[in-house]
Amino acid sequence: MARLLRDICYIRSGDKGDVCTAGLIAKTPQDYPFLVKTVTPEKVKQIYGEWVQGPVHCYRMDNIQAVVVVMKHALGGGATRTLRLDQTGKAMGHALLRLPVVA
Amino acid sequence: MKQKVRLGSGSGFWGDGMDPAMEVLEKGNLDYLCFDFLAELSMALLQRQKLKNPQAGYVPDAIHYMKAMMPMAREVGTKLISNGGGVNPRAAAERIVGDARALGLERTKVGLIEGDDILSKIEEMLQAGVTFANMETGDTTFSAVKDRIVSANAYTDSTGIIEALRGGCDIVIAGRVSDNAVYVGPVMHEFGWRHDSQHVDKIAAAIAVGHIVECAAGCTGGMSSRFAEMPHMGRVGFPIVDFFADGSADISKVPGSGGRVDQFTVKEHLVYEISDPRSYLMPDGIADFTSLKLEEVGADRVHISEVRGRAAPDTLKVVIGYQDGWIGESIAFFPWPHAYERTLKAKETMLERFERLKLNADQIHFDFIGLNTLHGPGAPMPDVDALAELNEVGLRCAVKTKTAEEAEKVRRAGAHLWIMGPGGTSFGTPIKPRPVVALWPTLIPREFVHQKVAILEA
Repeated sequence: MARLLRDICYIRSGDKGDVCTAGLIAKTPQDYPFLVKTVTPEKVKQIYGEWVQGPVHCYRMDNIQAVVVVMKHALGGGATRTLRLDQTGKAMGHALLRLPVVA
Repeated sequence: MKQKVRLGSGSGFWGDGMDPAMEVLEKGNLDYLCFDFLAELSMALLQRQKLKNPQAGYVPDAIHYMKAMMPMAREVGTKLISNGGGVNPRAAAERIVGDARALGLERTKVGLIEGDDILSKIEEMLQAGVTFANMETGDTTFSAVKDRIVSANAYTDSTGIIEALRGGCDIVIAGRVSDNAVYVGPVMHEFGWRHDSQHVDKIAAAIAVGHIVECAAGCTGGMSSRFAEMPHMGRVGFPIVDFFADGSADISKVPGSGGRVDQFTVKEHLVYEISDPRSYLMPDGIADFTSLKLEEVGADRVHISEVRGRAAPDTLKVVIGYQDGWIGESIAFFPWPHAYERTLKAKETMLERFERLKLNADQIHFDFIGLNTLHGPGAPMPDVDALAELNEVGLRCAVKTKTAEEAEKVRRAGAHLWIMGPGGTSFGTPIKPRPVVALWPTLIPREFVHQKVAILEA
């Protein structure tokens, strides 16, 4: 069965204004190249649909085998004015773990 | 010169547990215990409190913490540094001085840092040509929110904290210094570092370490993906930093406390709430998180080294809070069998009630709790058979309105479901409408902000 991102990395998700940031951390150095290949701005946008209104950036951190995903206009206006329950995006990033790992 | 400074983290937010802070003070053998109490919204909430009572406007917890900790801190020689002064650091400092006297701790020196509050300067700055363009959205129509402003605070650097420590303060209380500055300040003070070209990498190291520990248990097992492997999180240990003069540091925690410190707990927090990791921007400097090296060097001990950075930008971030209408909200839950169908019917009923009540809404949002509340379109729906057998589903409705009266209609429509809704509709206490303070982040030239330091003595 195809592996999902949840099998090869950890995640911590949060907010900064109306930006949702999600750090994905490879469980092992061997997993890191797969993590980098799997997470792209296009795929992130596709997962969240209308929930992410702005551009998405994916930043590599080779030194700690992590990828930081930054989604703009992604929290319905930011923690204080969003209508969503997850005001600070702590849960939001976890949906990225559904992405099938690109071999 | 000192070769090592030992700092503890005492709070990750306003509302954090105080017992782990007390534990790290008692057992940590610390030079400094540092506290972050402010979130982006805090300044606006505190400004509202100050409007009602000119003596309020600081984080009440900050006063309770200092009072509870200063006897032990004075005894063991640990200095306490926080940004709990909120929008009224002077009142906070005066309270702390009063508490010190009441506790018999004469000659306690309290450093007060002001100057971040630019609320009264906005008009003058506009006239001087500052545009206040929104740094997140690029929106330049600041005039649209200008008449609804509640608070405006600059994220200031560690300069004031350093000056207060040089003046021999036992306790430092600031307004909106960056969360990070409460750690960078004492490190720079102890090693005599200046904001100059010789120290950019070392200051970057202090910024990186400050970022890792500033959410307290956030780097010792809290918020972890590996939650199942984290022992005794209810008595988690807050982090301890041994910061060395060469710009490297060890992160650890009190032996025997709950949680863990390992490469992953540190990595998890390193990537938390940042943008481009090559440019972690703070008022004290810019740290490149892609340069640093992490090593596990013992049980619950991680060494961080080789941090590189750049000089501080010549702008400061300002967060302006402004009034932006109201939110009305309601929640109900529906049982098996056909829980999902009941929820759909309840949603239809709510919308009919909104029509009857002539609700004037800017935005209406529904969540199906248990199905899509947290991931929205990113949550796949179960198939028809699975949907039909769900044990329970909740309906959450949140509506943005211009006035409190309109938001109140959402609470009422939610209550109408109690009898108009499908069989089995269950509900808790109705939710009161809440006013919205929206945030407008912007960059301003540094020269408009002047930190002021005063030293009060008990």
